[in-house]
Order: sequence, then C-alpha cells, then structure tokens
Amino acid sequence: MPRLGHHTFVRMVLAATTVLAVMVGLASPALAHEGEESVPAITDVQEAIAILAEHTGEFPKSEVVDHAADKVHDAMDSNDTRGVRLDLVKQADTALEAGRMGEAVTLLERSIGACPGAPVIEPENAPRTPPTLTSPCPSVPHLQALDRSPVGGAKEPILIALGAVLILAGLGLARRIR
Amino acid sequence: MSEEATSVDATLAEPKAAATRPQRLWDALDERLGLKGLQYPIPEHANKLAYSLGGLSLMTFVLMVATGIYLTQFYNPDPTVAHESVRRIITSVSFGKFVRGFHYWGAMAMIVLIGLHLIRVFVSGSFKRPREANWIFGVILAGVTATLFFTGTVLKWDQESLEALEHNIEIGKLLGRFGFWFSPTFGGVPLLTRLYVVHIAVLPFMFTLVVAIHLLLVKRLGMAPSPFRKGPEPEPTRPFTKHLAELGALALVLIGVLAILGVLAPPPHGAAPIEGIEITKPPWPMLWVYPIEDWVGVSGILWATLAIFLALFLVPFVDRSPERSPRKRLPMMIVAGLVVATVIALIIYAAVQPVASHIGMG
Repeated sequence: MPRLGHHTFVRMVLAATTVLAVMVGLASPALAHEGEESVPAITDVQEAIAILAEHTGEFPKSEVVDHAADKVHDAMDSNDTRGVRLDLVKQADTALEAGRMGEAVTLLERSIGACPGAPVIEPENAPRTPPTLTSPCPSVPHLQALDRSPVGGAKEPILIALGAVLILAGLGLARRIR
Repeated sequence: MSEEATSVDATLAEPKAAATRPQRLWDALDERLGLKGLQYPIPEHANKLAYSLGGLSLMTFVLMVATGIYLTQFYNPDPTVAHESVRRIITSVSFGKFVRGFHYWGAMAMIVLIGLHLIRVFVSGSFKRPREANWIFGVILAGVTATLFFTGTVLKWDQESLEALEHNIEIGKLLGRFGFWFSPTFGGVPLLTRLYVVHIAVLPFMFTLVVAIHLLLVKRLGMAPSPFRKGPEPEPTRPFTKHLAELGALALVLIGVLAILGVLAPPPHGAAPIEGIEITKPPWPMLWVYPIEDWVGVSGILWATLAIFLALFLVPFVDRSPERSPRKRLPMMIVAGLVVATVIALIIYAAVQPVASHIGMG
C-alpha cells in the first residue's frame, strides 16, 4: 500500500475540515429551530411579551420586533397550544408586522389570560385552559410604573438640606474626634 | 453590710471637686448605669473607616427597624390589597414616599456595608484563631440580611415581587418535604402574609440575637491585631467610647446620604402583578444568580447561593495558618478575588442580558 506524503495528508485534512465547516455552517440555522415545536406556546408568548416589554428602548425597534415576531411564530407552530388563544396571537403578529408594539403586548397578554391591572391573589401555575374574554381588559398600566420621580412639594428642599447638614455635621464631628 | 457596699457609700459621702455641668451629668449616669465600663481600651487601628463598617451596618439595621415600624402602620400584607397599600404609602401618606425611599436605600447600604465588612475581615485575617466562631456568626448575619432583602423586595407586591415569589415557590418545590413552608397553600394564610411576618418579626429577632453574640465575642476576644502594623512596640490604644462617638458621627453622614437619596431617587413601584409571565429582573444584589438561572434553571439559584455560603463558612477551616498579612496569603487572596470578580461580572452580564423565562426550567 503506497504511503501518503506529508503534503497530501495536510491537504486532505484541510479539505475535510473545510467540508465539515461548510456543512455545519449550512446546518446551524436549521439546528437553531430544531425542537421548537415541542416548546409550549404559552412559554413562547411569555418570552415575546418579555422581549417587547423590557427592551423597547435598548435596541433598535426593528430588532426587537423581529425577535418578538420569531417567538410569536414559534407559538403558532407549537404542538402544545394549551392555555393560549391563538386567534389573539395571530392578531398580535399582525400588529407586530405593522410596528404597533404596545397593541401587540396587550394582545399577547390577553392571549394567555393575563389582564394587566387585575388583582392577583396568589401565584399559581400558568393557566392551561384558553382564557375567556368576558370583560374588556384595561390597557397596560403595569408598564406605566411609578418611576423614580422626586418627592414633591416644599418637603423636598427641606429634606435635602437636612441631609446635607447631617453629612457636614457628621464629617466635622468625625474629624474633631480623631 | 458588705465591704463593697460600705465602699460605695463612702464614695457617695465624699465631697466632690468642682465639675462642669456635663461632667456632673456623666458622673450621675455612670454611677447608675456603669457607663465608664465602656471606656475599655481598643487598638488605635479600630478607629479607621475600614474597621467601622460592621458598626455602621448595625446602625443601618437600627434605621431599617425605625423606618420599617413607620411603614408597617400603612402596609397591608393581604395579597389582594398589598399593592394598593404601597401605592397609598407613596401617594397619600405623610412622608410615606420619603420613608420608603430611605428604607430602600438603607437596605442597599446595609448589603454593601456588610459585604465590605466581610471582605475587610477576610483580607485582614481577623477571622483567624481564636475568632473562627465569630466569623461563622458574621456569615449567619450576612445570610439573615440577604433574606431580609429578599423578603422586602416581595412585600412591595408589583410584577418584580410576584416573579420573585414564584421563583421562591419553585425553590421550595426543589427542597421537597423541607420546602413545605414555601407552598402557597401551607397554613391557610397567604405566603405573602407569612413572608411579611418573617420580614418584620422573625428575621429582625434573629439578627438582633446573632448580632448580640457577635458583639459579645468581639468584646471577649478583643479586636484582632492589624496585619499591616510594623515594628515590635505595642500599638497605642484609645477608649472604646471614642470609637462609639466616631461611629455616631459616621452614622450622621450615612443618614444624610440616605435622606438625600430617599428624596432624589425614590424606588420605583410597578403596577399590580400578573401571574404567569416573566418580564422583570431581580434587583442588583440578587442579579448575580440570574445568568446561572439562564444556564441551569431555577435550581441554579438554590445551588449557587448554597455554594457561596458554604464557601464562606469554610474559610476559617481552609485558611488556618496564623499568618494574617494578605501578602503572605496570596493563594487565598487570589481565590477570593476571583470569586468577587465573578459575582461582579455576573451582575454586569445579567444587567445587559435580555429578560428570560425561567419558571418550569427545573
């Protein structure tokens, strides 16, 4: 049996590596979506809500919408659609395509039975039966949280001045004691 | 009549030299309360800021109790109205928003101060023989503080709180029969209400008890010598009352800073929580477990927390050499530095990561 030369061997290894890299490169998009049908639709919807609710200002809007739309499509393709109203998910998809993110969030939340602003008694497992839509759901007040707004009125400058006096007095005393 | 009592009466009968009014007041109080017993000598290095962090942590705890008592007058731990009662504290109660802001920033300060105190004790080797037991009590105090912080974040009962509680329930399930207390159905009283009792009664009681033991051990064993002191001559001392006075002055600075933060940066409060979705991240002191949760599921929170505290408990049993200087304990310093750097890196990583759903990941 003829012996392979050193150069021939190196060329063969390089060729095999290149073929393998091309195969993996082509296959990775398919692998990335492998098994997504087994993810419950309710999880995909929750993730889409999270993406839309938390990142409206951090990344370009188009990127956020694309990412959320992927999750919405995964939800529609899922084998386990228990607890999700797919008609509302489809409407949310249309809203996303039109760039109406707020409307999409509301629709997605309603599709899994979450009604923003409604009181919650105790955390339980996510609902597993399609939620009913008997009453109109409020908008999205939970996204309009009370933000870091300063204390109002005349108290504010007094409290700040008091704080500053305490800091100065404390520093002065500490220096004197030393 | 005993000899001692005769001596006390004889002292009372002695005519006193002319003294100033504050001096006479001090003498009168000392005679009845034995305050001069606090004037015992402590090494000079104990008055440095790095050696005042433990005392400042304790002062912050006292401030937390004081502001907490105010907040309990208006907070309702019933899950159906808890959120609304927090809103009322913010919008309607006199100084409610300010006191809540002070309480929030005080909690953050307590976490930071205890963390820095722990690092200082580790770096200066103050936990070494015969102070190993006091290190253990210190780690218990850090654990109680972390639990106080967690239960406090749940009480505000917004979306972040509900998600934190849902994670807590999941961890309770992982604990099997030992996690029964975290079941929403245990005891017939909502978990939020029970956590409230833990936050305002059980944990503060535990903290007070353990901190009393911690301080008694410091008094009994004395301050650990400074590893940075050179030369054979003994270190000068100062009375402990001077240390207390300096702590009081630093506490004034702390109160001032917390007051200003409470006004200028009051904590946010989300709207009523919605179950079944995960759209928030935990506050920064708990953020380091978030990426771990991404990788291994909710169980990661349990195991990572246990690992950190187990490592802390083991410190005096691993670093047993009598050497206190950090330069001569380089391997320990490097390991500890890596752990701290990893925790900081995880917090930063989690802060920039997108929100992910973890419930049900196991």
